[in-house]
Amino acid sequence: MKIGPLNIPLKEDFSLKSILGFEKTPLNMLIAVATLAMLAMFVIGVANYLVHGHEAYGVTRQHPWGLLIAVYIFFVVSSTGFCIVGSLGDVFGFKDFTMISKRAIFGSIVTILAGFAVIAFEIGHPVRMMIYNVISPGLTSAIWWMGTLYGLYLTFMIIEFYFLLNNDMKKAKIFGLTGLLVGLAAHSNLGGVFGFLNARTISNGVYYPTYFILTAFITGIYLSFIVMGFRYKLNFSDEKVKKLLEGLAKIQGLLISILIFFMTWKLLTDVYGGMPTRADVAHHMLHTGAFWTEVICAMLIPLAVILKDFGKSPVLMFWASLIGMVGIFFMRYNLVHDTQVKPLQMMKITEYQLPPEWIEYFPSATEIMIALGGLGLCILLYYVGTRAFNLDEEEGH
Amino acid sequence: MARYGMALDYKNCINCKACEVACKEENGVELGAEKHRIWVGGNDPKGEWPLLDIASAAFLPSQCQQCEDAPCQEVCPTHATYYDENHVVRVDSEKCILCSYCMNACPYDARYVDDRTMTVDKCTFCSDTRLARGETTTACQNTCPTKVRTFGDLDDPNSEISELLRTREHFSLKAHLGTNPKLFYLT
Repeated sequence: MKIGPLNIPLKEDFSLKSILGFEKTPLNMLIAVATLAMLAMFVIGVANYLVHGHEAYGVTRQHPWGLLIAVYIFFVVSSTGFCIVGSLGDVFGFKDFTMISKRAIFGSIVTILAGFAVIAFEIGHPVRMMIYNVISPGLTSAIWWMGTLYGLYLTFMIIEFYFLLNNDMKKAKIFGLTGLLVGLAAHSNLGGVFGFLNARTISNGVYYPTYFILTAFITGIYLSFIVMGFRYKLNFSDEKVKKLLEGLAKIQGLLISILIFFMTWKLLTDVYGGMPTRADVAHHMLHTGAFWTEVICAMLIPLAVILKDFGKSPVLMFWASLIGMVGIFFMRYNLVHDTQVKPLQMMKITEYQLPPEWIEYFPSATEIMIALGGLGLCILLYYVGTRAFNLDEEEGH
Repeated sequence: MARYGMALDYKNCINCKACEVACKEENGVELGAEKHRIWVGGNDPKGEWPLLDIASAAFLPSQCQQCEDAPCQEVCPTHATYYDENHVVRVDSEKCILCSYCMNACPYDARYVDDRTMTVDKCTFCSDTRLARGETTTACQNTCPTKVRTFGDLDDPNSEISELLRTREHFSLKAHLGTNPKLFYLT
């Protein structure tokens, strides 16, 4: 398809008919219905938000960031992860990983778009944000840097994808490397949003800006297994695919081990010495189901599967990656919640009130609907992309 | 141009909450328990009768600490939070995008969302109301029956607040965070 000077190579049979013409197996139908249901929830959730504003959310004065911030982080971490995996082949030249590059870069675009769709309904004034981000930039704000760099990153990812589609690997490499560097900067700034919170000692410091990059890579590999699993319908007999997935699983084993090492030391330093507002929050975290769900799903189960035969079971890794992504969701939710769980003002301010101990938060139905809607949007965009573009590696390139 | 601050003789506080009411009334603060610019904190007395620890039940009036190095101002992505000409930390509701970063960054829980404008609101030392009308006290100070609060210009050596800070020992809340509050608690 030609748009001005641009040549966008769409699949020849791309049409509404090809989008709706998927194989009507029970699993496909289930995914299709679930996706439509999630999109419907998105519409209902957004409508409720537009009528009631932040009142429709479970956020409070003491817990101003809720599920939608966690889901935004979930999607942008996924995007950065896809970008890192995609860059292994087309930027760094690891031949075994080239076959997933185009798919991963496309994945990075749809996940960040889903993230933007969710955050647009968490930020009170998204249009004002775009205007004042430009005319009144707050350069000391990590949110300003994060938002601005992610905007640039998305642009570079789209340009890289365009060149990948046109098999212009030289230009794809240039924009891929630039996009990767901008994406890593944006992503570590997202960690900095939490790291700069002097008032929240549990999050304050260098840990999150670096940890975010590590967990992004881990998320990218989980997602790669999931998209390749759907692409090949869990039939990984092709030697090239097998080699790619085995390589990714081995890297994943190393990354999860590093993450466990990082987390262990983070928690030990949090607890050690009993520093108020840090040690007590860490103890509180350790006694929540959400924390152990994160550890078991995002780290222990996938690591056990990898260690079983050093990544030679791609089908098992597909399932472990699905579990891993559940763990990654809890990882983001816990990060946001645990940062705010300790009240900043520890005195009673109304009569008959119990002294504040821990801040309670549970997402409202509207927040849950918008969050699931983001997932639905992500699945829909990805699916339409698989119908519109050839996301496989083309022979001879 | 002044550098406004406030001294609080907090041990005089009787928790009548007249300051909270006066603030809401004067500044048109939204109704609702969560929507407050200032508050009085208290604790239940510790210990068992008759050995009650009376000192543990002191009241602590609080609000935005009008920090010299305000974290809320540093983290604002659009400069909606700014220092006005009198060094008062203010929010420009035209620029606020309601990202809530300032609410998370403020160590004093001094900010809340005004649902009418969908922007963050906080204590302004009555800059838009009483000070704009040429008055020299804030609503909370003016209404206090036990004269807990003294508001004034820290740069004026002859102001009442400067005199108090020279002659009375005082402390600031969470001073270790380096925020340099302009609210001083007299001991």
